[in-house]
Amino acid sequence: MSEHTGDDAFATLAGYRARGGWEAARKALTTMSPEQVVELVKNAGLQGRGGAGFATGLKWSFMPKGNEKPKYLVCNADESEPGSFKDRLLLSRAPHQMLEGILIGAWATGAEKTFVYVRGEYAHPADVLQRAIDECYEAGLLGASCLGTGFRHDVVVSRGAGAYICGEETGLLESLEGKKGQPRKKPPFPAQYGAFGMPTTVNNVETFSHVPHIVSRGAEWFRGFGTEKSPGTTIFGVSGHVRRPGLYELPLGTRLDEIVFEHAQGPLGGRKVKGVIPGGASMPILPASQLDVPMANEFLRERKTMLGTGGVMVMDDTTCMVRVACVITYFFRDESCGQCTQCREGTGWIHKIMERIERGAGQRSDLDLLLDIASKMEGQTICAFADAAAWPVQGLLRHFRADFEAHVEHGKCPFPESFEL
Amino acid sequence: MKITVDGVAYEVAEGRTILQALDDLGLLMNGVDVPHYCWHPKLSIDGSCRLCQVEIEGVPKLQIACNTVVAEGMAIHTRNERVRKAREGVMELLLVNHPLDCPICDKAGECKLQDYAFDYGVPHARTREPRRAAKKRVDLGPTIVFDQERCIFCRRCVRFCREVPGTGELGIFVRGDRSVLETFPGTPLDNDYSMNVADICPVGALTTKDFRFKIRVWFLEDVPGVCTGCANGCNVHLGVANNRVYRYLPRRNDAVNGTWICDEGRLSYHRIGAADRIDGHALHGADGRREQASLDAAVAAAAAALRAVIERQGPGAIGALASPHATNEDLFVLRRFLEALGSTQAGFAVPTWRADALLRKPEAAANAAGCRALGFGDAAPLLERVRGGAVAGLLVLGHDVLATAGTAALDALRGLDALVLADSHRSALEGLAQVVFATRVPAEKLGTITNHAGRVQRVVPAVEPPFEAHAEGEIVWRIAQALDLPGFAGAYDVRAISKELAQAEDAFAGRDLDALPPEGAPLHGAGVG
Repeated sequence: MSEHTGDDAFATLAGYRARGGWEAARKALTTMSPEQVVELVKNAGLQGRGGAGFATGLKWSFMPKGNEKPKYLVCNADESEPGSFKDRLLLSRAPHQMLEGILIGAWATGAEKTFVYVRGEYAHPADVLQRAIDECYEAGLLGASCLGTGFRHDVVVSRGAGAYICGEETGLLESLEGKKGQPRKKPPFPAQYGAFGMPTTVNNVETFSHVPHIVSRGAEWFRGFGTEKSPGTTIFGVSGHVRRPGLYELPLGTRLDEIVFEHAQGPLGGRKVKGVIPGGASMPILPASQLDVPMANEFLRERKTMLGTGGVMVMDDTTCMVRVACVITYFFRDESCGQCTQCREGTGWIHKIMERIERGAGQRSDLDLLLDIASKMEGQTICAFADAAAWPVQGLLRHFRADFEAHVEHGKCPFPESFEL
Repeated sequence: MKITVDGVAYEVAEGRTILQALDDLGLLMNGVDVPHYCWHPKLSIDGSCRLCQVEIEGVPKLQIACNTVVAEGMAIHTRNERVRKAREGVMELLLVNHPLDCPICDKAGECKLQDYAFDYGVPHARTREPRRAAKKRVDLGPTIVFDQERCIFCRRCVRFCREVPGTGELGIFVRGDRSVLETFPGTPLDNDYSMNVADICPVGALTTKDFRFKIRVWFLEDVPGVCTGCANGCNVHLGVANNRVYRYLPRRNDAVNGTWICDEGRLSYHRIGAADRIDGHALHGADGRREQASLDAAVAAAAAALRAVIERQGPGAIGALASPHATNEDLFVLRRFLEALGSTQAGFAVPTWRADALLRKPEAAANAAGCRALGFGDAAPLLERVRGGAVAGLLVLGHDVLATAGTAALDALRGLDALVLADSHRSALEGLAQVVFATRVPAEKLGTITNHAGRVQRVVPAVEPPFEAHAEGEIVWRIAQALDLPGFAGAYDVRAISKELAQAEDAFAGRDLDALPPEGAPLHGAGVG
């Protein structure tokens, strides 16, 4: 999927076609029925790469059959999870690959239009994408008769205004409709009542980008990568205290320590790793002693964390985990849409306590209070944002309670070398 | 379909959510406690306060009762330890930023945050952090004041403005715990139903300028009544203390007003204690002198004036103008009076106002339909006969004829030999009458009224007038007795009159004061209103 992203031409129609691009879509639209495509994606075991990891083929099968109402696809390109930057690469370096996946998805689900919801801050990727879309229309790949098959499909770019919650699929739909980005209560689910009230399927940029390869090379080929329960590859975005931060496409199930120490070449300046967040800021952190875990949900779950978006954030032993907690909780406090009580009030309360602890004014009882507040937020709200805010707090306290206790004991931060807030 | 709630089986309608089903059964917070803030029976479901979580057997996570549709055999638990802990959690979080200013908050005593904190809150605050600072006393428009820091973001007011009047002045701006309720720039909260937002605000964030700081609510007795501002007959609670009505609050009646009332109707309670009330019976001399009189003296004077006309021109020269503000019982007595007299000279006039598609009906009086049901027709022909001299004595209930016929009515009535007025508020008509009776307003009397759709509803006395005043029916009854008309033996008894009305009129069968259910009942043949 990322093989040719180093080639500038890959972002153009000509360059993409030169690498065999758009042949998978031709194959799907001319030789396969929609049901066969859905079945193929199901057999490949492709799971959504946006963070939740839901089975893509199954999701596509939820779309109602028939033509009573127009059906829509939405491509979630609102990549806002701190530590995650893979979609930016795919949007700006391989837009045709994603568009081809979208067209195949549209064929499979009977969708007549796709809205690509691009994070507001991704101005350049959005421009690149728009150019690619324009090329597709000119070449007859999109529009009234895609690839000359008579199948109509349109793709529209919608630019967000910069709110993390708009990456949540129903918050995205609200924003797409011009409203304040706030998640919708479910049911009804988007497959019944999605964008503008129409049946809608929402998939991530990377999810769509896998699809042409599955159609071209088959489900078995895709299953040749990854684990039995988590097939395929994914793009890990490695950031933080490593020599070679960047994006690495690797099979799911690649061990975290391999990603950190071999691909990203470990911490700078001979430092030791203190902890790693495996899947973006909302996922619970793992201590250095637990990095021998395959990066797939079935294994990460055993260590009370998740793959999330695959944003691997590495922290060395100079890091103050209370400061990390302050930064993360500040982010979630700032980005909570404010709709649900637990999330609105919980994120704010937790952040205020974290700041107080970091200032040296914490109490030992605050640590249990933090866990108690987090438990009251978890699993009780309209969307998973409150969980996403609670989990890192739980993870940090689970593995680095000593850092918090040291702040309380000494009345100040014991990590002077740590990054400034 | 069948569900069980805390082990008790209930039959509920398909497609309803748990809260709706409990509400349909009349059990919600009335046997089955599922506390809630954002849910309101007449607004769209929001699902954001998260307080109504319940346990459903077979479902791993707690579910919100407001958005979970009932299913056959669903077993719901509303009061086990798990549910209690969840409620406790929500309450604690809601109170993290809510000011503890109950002693100075106007909503204290009827605040849902206060109530639920008492029921489900934790006994000790665990927060050491300063509470959110926000704006105080924000003027949202002509009727509502907003105390921003008390808002718990249930969004009832936002949804109300969007969904009921359709004006959408309010929105929640910014995110997270910095969220604020505000009006859209340049759009004050100003619609015909704006004050309902104070009723549905579960805390003291939105209060009405009219009621704010007038009295602590625990001093108020809520007396069920009916707004008489227009023909809709919206059900209200009259907030009464010290023999004074301090406010109207809408009283739920799904057949009439749902849970809303219009602002103008709500403020019409000011008419009860208004300075222009006729504050006692009076005799007016030919020289224009006004003399206070007892009921007996006024009745005697009225009877004498009418008798003189009868003796001169016969009973057919006596007419009556009915009032659409009077009760069915008052009107029934008036009709019986005319029948006993042998006169057919009757009519009524009803003022109109700006109607809308929601609650406000064109006729700005509560009982125009009752007038029609009891056979009173338009006042115009009667006024013509007055002008022509065929009617020389007139008994007038209320001054509504001025609101419709204006000075033309005054000119017509100027030539009468006898004009007896029974009215609650001062008007130009008062100066023409020889005898003026002070009447009670609906908030001061017992009886029934019939709304525009033919629904008969009960009014009960909430306050006593601070001066001598009587129901129109009683005044007419006493005049009839003074004229020795048949059928008026004994003291005026409104309950007995109501029963007689129900027996005499097929449409009113079973609609007497004692038989009416709290939500009223439609006239037979009137359909459901």
